[in-house]
Amino acid sequence: MTVEFLVYGVINTLCVVLLSPLFVSLIKKVKAWSQGRQGPSVFQTYYTLAKLLKKEVIYSGNSSRIMRATPWVCISAVLVASLFVPLVFVTEPFGGIGNIILFLYLLVLVRFFMALSGLDAGSTFGGMGSSREMSISAVIEPTTIIVFAALAFVFKSMNIFDMVGTEVIAGIPVSPTLILIGISLFIILIVETSRIPVDNPETHLELTMIHEGMILEQSGRNLALMELTAAIKQTLLMALLINLIVPWGLSTTLSFAAIAVAVCLFAVKGAILSLVIGLFESSMAKMRFFRLPSLFMMAFFFSTLTIIIEVFA
Amino acid sequence: MSDLLFYASIVLFIAGTLVPLLCAARDTRIIRILSLACTAGGSVLLIVLSLLVLISGVPFTVVAWQLFPGFSLTFFIDRLAAFFLFLIGMVAACVAVYSSGYIEHMEGGNRRNLLCGCISLFVLAMALIVSSENTVSFLLFWELMAATSFFLVMYEYDTLETRKAGLFYFVMTHLSTLFVMLGVIMLWYASGSFAIAPLHTSPASLPLATVAFLSLFAGFSIKAGIIPFHKWLPYAHPASPSPVSALMSGVMLKVAVYGLIRFIFTVFSPELWWGVLILIAGISSAVLGVIYAFKEDDIKGMLAYSSIENIGIIFIGIGLYVIFSCEGLIVLATISLLAALFHSLNHALFKSLLFLTAGSVVHATHTRDIEKMGGLSRKMPYTSALFFTGAMAIAALPPLNGFASELLVYIAFFQSVTVVDPLIKVLLFICLALFALTGALSAACFVKAFGSVFLAQPRSPESENAREVSLSMLAGPAVLAAACVILGVFAYQIFFAFGFALPIPDLFLVSVLLLVMMALAYTFLYFTASRETRISETWGCGTKSQPSSTEYTGIGFSEPIVTIFSSIYRTKKASTKTYFDKNDCIVAEGTAEIRLLKFFEEYLYLPVARGAMKAAKKISRVQNGCLDTYLLYVFIAVIAVILYLGWSA
Repeated sequence: MTVEFLVYGVINTLCVVLLSPLFVSLIKKVKAWSQGRQGPSVFQTYYTLAKLLKKEVIYSGNSSRIMRATPWVCISAVLVASLFVPLVFVTEPFGGIGNIILFLYLLVLVRFFMALSGLDAGSTFGGMGSSREMSISAVIEPTTIIVFAALAFVFKSMNIFDMVGTEVIAGIPVSPTLILIGISLFIILIVETSRIPVDNPETHLELTMIHEGMILEQSGRNLALMELTAAIKQTLLMALLINLIVPWGLSTTLSFAAIAVAVCLFAVKGAILSLVIGLFESSMAKMRFFRLPSLFMMAFFFSTLTIIIEVFA
Repeated sequence: MSDLLFYASIVLFIAGTLVPLLCAARDTRIIRILSLACTAGGSVLLIVLSLLVLISGVPFTVVAWQLFPGFSLTFFIDRLAAFFLFLIGMVAACVAVYSSGYIEHMEGGNRRNLLCGCISLFVLAMALIVSSENTVSFLLFWELMAATSFFLVMYEYDTLETRKAGLFYFVMTHLSTLFVMLGVIMLWYASGSFAIAPLHTSPASLPLATVAFLSLFAGFSIKAGIIPFHKWLPYAHPASPSPVSALMSGVMLKVAVYGLIRFIFTVFSPELWWGVLILIAGISSAVLGVIYAFKEDDIKGMLAYSSIENIGIIFIGIGLYVIFSCEGLIVLATISLLAALFHSLNHALFKSLLFLTAGSVVHATHTRDIEKMGGLSRKMPYTSALFFTGAMAIAALPPLNGFASELLVYIAFFQSVTVVDPLIKVLLFICLALFALTGALSAACFVKAFGSVFLAQPRSPESENAREVSLSMLAGPAVLAAACVILGVFAYQIFFAFGFALPIPDLFLVSVLLLVMMALAYTFLYFTASRETRISETWGCGTKSQPSSTEYTGIGFSEPIVTIFSSIYRTKKASTKTYFDKNDCIVAEGTAEIRLLKFFEEYLYLPVARGAMKAAKKISRVQNGCLDTYLLYVFIAVIAVILYLGWSA
């Protein structure tokens, strides 16, 4: 492992871990504003995580080792996945790190464990959440793969590093079809991070909850890890969208100034995207569960359109 | 050296067959152990032999026995055959170890001796099919495999379910043999020899070669369980003992895959549309197989449907190989073929692991219905860990082996941008989307399976009293689980060692990174977070002590998918109600049912069966038992022969 890659890993991981809670609270803040409320502070998610770390962990008497292992597996899988998406600094791909399929399947690994832990305590809410999560994931998966295939098609590579690298050198989206892919990626972002209209992250009402249902039995330190996992996953998907559509500012050399600028720029771009997500969520109503496949069909349509344009152009 | 190993393993398998047959009347454990030890020993020798050939890359030929002048039973083992011998040996050895514990808990007295003997013969037949040098011995051992597997399925012949499954299997497996035989005869017409050797097609013999390919494809598809010929799998697997299911699903289906690969690779020079045909057969089996598996409540039935899905994935690999090699893309063709082969091995490993551990669960709970299980992870911790490894592998989670082989398929699909033909390109992208759907559904399917069987609270008294199984029933699956992990983590290195530098991520690095990240997170939280834990009740909106009946069931879990894909499941909802009053306001009682149509059975199999019955009835009129009529037939036949001979002269 080269030194450059090691430095990249440290910077990228720190960025992801430290920035993720900020974006989560920003979206909450935007939603509160649009509802005419003051809303919690933008640092609220940090406070919540710190509070959870101080609390004891309560396990259900029914639960098995799955419940105990899930937070650790989830956080490590999502942290490894974070190495696949360059946030502020692009280096050479190393040992297959950056492979877009592996990135996707690391997120599937997280989902697999989360769904099992939902079933573990024997609570009806958990089971319902797992069932819905796995169903939605099954229906969105063809879209995600086609979007990724379209990306691989446009950039002639399966590696996210190569994709972002090409973008940074070009400075603008290399192909107009990337706008179409961007729309699909945005829908995938909404679905994967359990936002309205797919799921409602704010509620604990059994009719609507999916993600919250699965982690209902988690507590203390474990809950903090699960919340952080969800936040990091959101940041990664946001970063993928940002760096493919508006790539400027990413550093390609290992210099302190360039990276500092890149971090600031990324925070600003992330904040703007959080604003968009918050407004999007506020303007939508929660969809009926069985109406969701039609939303996914829309994302599927845009990515298929990209491929058809690329194939026949 | 290699010849000696080959002979020794055959002798061991034959000993494993003969010992229990000779002592069939005595119901003692030692005979069964001896027979299974012979099977395990023979399998280990097969593994050693295949590794020798795989590593050295030097094929060898064994002339075993001259059947009649000019024709001898000859075996030829090259790298492809050795690969499948490795697969057979690996699974058979673990199954033999498992069976030594499992078989003692079975009912049937000294019938169990015969079961051991049959297993040994079955494994021998499969090993000899793979190493056959010519089509005649291929066919001979193919039939031996069909017959022994039928006896194995019929082990519990006194139950109605098994008899029905056995009959179904018997008909389907012989249909398969029929098609393979037809293909072999066609090949003989086209080439004039029985050797499995390259067929040089001229424009004149091309139609014959095509017919030969189509009938071989049909024969292998029936045996491999490709939709719509799949129906025997979900009948035969639940009905047969678990080690037999593991062997049949893990190995026998792969022998059919071997047949297809061998004939395509060695004999034919395939055309593009053959590849498209195989690809479409594969993708439809993969999608429909996993969709049917998801709603299944019988644990072994679910695994059977999931086998159909995985065979579909293997066929996708073979189809891509043919398409890419017709397009002249050698690198992609190699990747696709390696994907098909690697997935065959991986599926053999994790599916037999799952069938064996499922067998342990069924043995412990005395039911196959996953709705009546639950909470087994605390009663059977080791079995649950082994099943979990298999579930992770089959759900294609990194860094296990299922992921490694599906990744190869994805890479082949993603790089199909280099294909020239735009129509093929569009077809490949449709298949890619469906393949992704398959992957996600199979993850959902195994969340449901593991969750309902092992997690939460026991939902029946049997499951409440379940106990962990004996050591040998853990040792066999444990070897398979270890192989699943090793083949996944070191996939890149293994391919590299065999001379294929594939563009796949280094999963070993990813595993190390996963562990490093986990260690970092743990260390950080060890110093910052509270370390107190407490055991309490599951939150139930304020009610105390929720019974297990409030849990989310398997049927509930699969309901969203069943609703979304209702057009594929063809659900029929029916309800009847009676009312107290005339205006139908107050319901007195009623029934409601949601029934899943057995689409293929009701619209394909039964009409064909009815047609065959009708035809048979008409033909049976010819045989009326009257001597005069029969004499008339003979007379007509003689006249016809005379006329024909006169005509041709």
